[in-house]
Amino acid sequence: MPIHLSHFTAVLMDEVQIAALLFMAVVYALKIRWVLSYKAGKERTPSRGDTGKAIRYAYTTVAMPWELPSTRKHWFRWVEFAIFHVAVATAIGVTFVMPYWPKAIASPPVVSTLQAVFGLGLLAALSRLGRRIADPSMRAITSPDDAFSLIMLACWLGAGVLAAPQTSEPALIAFFGLTAFFLVYVPFSKISHYIYWPFIRYYIGKHLGHRGVYPAKAVPNRA
Amino acid sequence: MADHTSGSNEKAKAVVEAFPKKLNRQALLSFASCVHCGMCNDSCHYYLATGDPKMTPAYKADQVRKLFKYHVDWLGRLAPAWVGGKTFTDDAQLEELKDVVFGTCTMCRRCTISCPFGVDHALMMRMTRGMLSAQGVAPEGVKVVSNDQWQTGNQMGVSQEDYLETLAWLQDELRNEVGDPKAEIPIDKAGVNIVFVVNPREIKYAPMSLLAAAKIFYAAGEDWTMPSVGWDNTNFGLFSGDDKLGAHMGNLAYDQAIKLGVKKMVVSECGHGFRATKWEAPNWAGRDLPFPIESFLETMVEYVNTGRIMLDPSANRKPVTYHDPCNLGRSAGITEEPRFLLKRACMDYREMTPNRQENYCCTGGGGAMSMSEYSSRRLQVAKVKADQIKATGAACVATACHNCVDGLTDLIKHYKINIPVKNVCEYVADALVLRRAAHVTEEMPAELRGRSVLVIDDDPDVVTYLTTLLQDHGLKTFTARNAAEGIKVARRERPDMITLDISMPGRSGIEVFTWLRSEPEMTGIPVCIVTGAIDFRQLMYHRNVPPPDGYIEKPVKADLLLMTVRRILEIKLHKASPVGVS
Repeated sequence: MPIHLSHFTAVLMDEVQIAALLFMAVVYALKIRWVLSYKAGKERTPSRGDTGKAIRYAYTTVAMPWELPSTRKHWFRWVEFAIFHVAVATAIGVTFVMPYWPKAIASPPVVSTLQAVFGLGLLAALSRLGRRIADPSMRAITSPDDAFSLIMLACWLGAGVLAAPQTSEPALIAFFGLTAFFLVYVPFSKISHYIYWPFIRYYIGKHLGHRGVYPAKAVPNRA
Repeated sequence: MADHTSGSNEKAKAVVEAFPKKLNRQALLSFASCVHCGMCNDSCHYYLATGDPKMTPAYKADQVRKLFKYHVDWLGRLAPAWVGGKTFTDDAQLEELKDVVFGTCTMCRRCTISCPFGVDHALMMRMTRGMLSAQGVAPEGVKVVSNDQWQTGNQMGVSQEDYLETLAWLQDELRNEVGDPKAEIPIDKAGVNIVFVVNPREIKYAPMSLLAAAKIFYAAGEDWTMPSVGWDNTNFGLFSGDDKLGAHMGNLAYDQAIKLGVKKMVVSECGHGFRATKWEAPNWAGRDLPFPIESFLETMVEYVNTGRIMLDPSANRKPVTYHDPCNLGRSAGITEEPRFLLKRACMDYREMTPNRQENYCCTGGGGAMSMSEYSSRRLQVAKVKADQIKATGAACVATACHNCVDGLTDLIKHYKINIPVKNVCEYVADALVLRRAAHVTEEMPAELRGRSVLVIDDDPDVVTYLTTLLQDHGLKTFTARNAAEGIKVARRERPDMITLDISMPGRSGIEVFTWLRSEPEMTGIPVCIVTGAIDFRQLMYHRNVPPPDGYIEKPVKADLLLMTVRRILEIKLHKASPVGVS
């Protein structure tokens, strides 16, 4: 069962989170306005393909690892990506539920599931971190922000494993403290890539659809 | 990149100032979105072949992205080092950036197809090339060819006279080949269905594909024309990043097509030429065109489907594979048409793996063929393509791009695969079922008999082969076994043309060629390079002197040699006594 929380922890889980969330929303709104302030390049020629279908295709390839040559070749990395992002999305969901409906996620099966998801996400994060350290080609493209973001997310997921049972106040402070930090830091860091994702997938789908390249044609003898 | 200093910073300053102004929404997203996940790393043939961490698409893009991070990115403007931001403060840094964007990327877009985000590395590379080119920081070949396109309207500096003479000669060849004295290659015929725009390589060095196209138009009974101006479908604006040049080249072709009142424009088999003419140049020029543009591949498919041409695949019995040009497969959606044609024109078609939009670059894309300073690297990274070709077990390669033909020919020679590369239309032309029996003429016209050719080559077997072949066809020959002897004989005999080897002991053929082009009494003698080395390409692109009149790669094929010699001598003869073009 959830423990009784100190005033500090209660404020951290509620008011601080809301303030940080509002900050994030404002920065993201400004960021989207900033992206839209740049004029989009347009095609003047008649379309060769089905642009709408191509845009839908561009959005759905993320769930179709067999479609991209990279994810088809490195399927393990795609699984790692999926686990990591499911864990992060779940952790975000928990930060909304835990402060207001703690009992909803307090039953032992739910706690075990959350811990398993966060634990797997942590392993995926560590695996990614290991690759960035061990693989020279990854090391060459890793910026301090890349490394820091990954380390902090690994810490956050680790804190999530400990905080999920809602029985340790230090774990809850760590988890929600890191959440508040992320809400402020993420809009400026590489982690904000998900804000760009809908835009860039839209434009690449539209562009390649216009040219008749997307949706990708069935490729026999795929490597 | 290592930091060197040049003591000057004017160009660096101009690039830094231009960068934010060049960004559009798509470019901004490509600069901002990369998470350095590394999924694109082994999509690139430069990285696959070398294993060098500095050859991954993300690393190469970061050499430009650092400018974005430093000057545009929100966090980067406050703490650039934290996000990998850095600015350029010295012109020497631009030279290093030039080597990255011109020398380690063919803008093939395979990484874009592999990227889970769709980060368009080619877009970023082209944008950077444009900023550098504007400051004069570009490979010499790119500068020369771009200048030629501005000055002459075509990338090989072919004069109007040479262009028309070549078409007249090709028309004679067509008539001989199809056995019809009325077969023609029309020029500036108004109101026709098709205006056909070509790659200058087809005029200057490789007329086989243009002859094949003319034969196919003839067989289909097409009402077509070549334009007298605006005939170059290639566009170095795509490679140099210069949108103004891109628009200029597009406008030349579009204006002539409108003037002639044609129903559509057909682009010969050139990957970047088709992409630029059909898709990019209307955007650069800001024009909506009143006629459609299609690839000659599409035209040929229509001819087959409507029964306008018939093909007999027994004409091409050897196993053939198809190399998808990047600009057709990944930027223009042309992948099925060549397969449709090859499966009908050849007995044994074999798929390359991977293929279509996932195919590897021929290594000659992005203008790489004109950048001879990067040739050794190009051949090193071509191992990926060489392995791909070997794995098919094919005895011939087909492609639909002249850059690819050259790129593949170089790597095939380098990796000793020893199989020919031809355009798709050449296979189709060979398989054409004509009402009259076609024949390839090897006859030397009477007016050329007795003309003299100086063969300069250090290989006695090659000298014997070439002189025997030429003498058997009524030509007089002189020989020289090295550069010094060649110069001596050329001075003494003043031959009608010279065939020149490149790799010879002592002074190279390149030195001899430069001398021939510089000596006033020798400049009128046409030169055909006959070589097994790829160095000759610098004569075509990095030229301080006019380019050679032809080239033939060893091992020399008899029909190609005779055709090239006929073309060069006939054009020389017609220049001496001009005749009208029908």
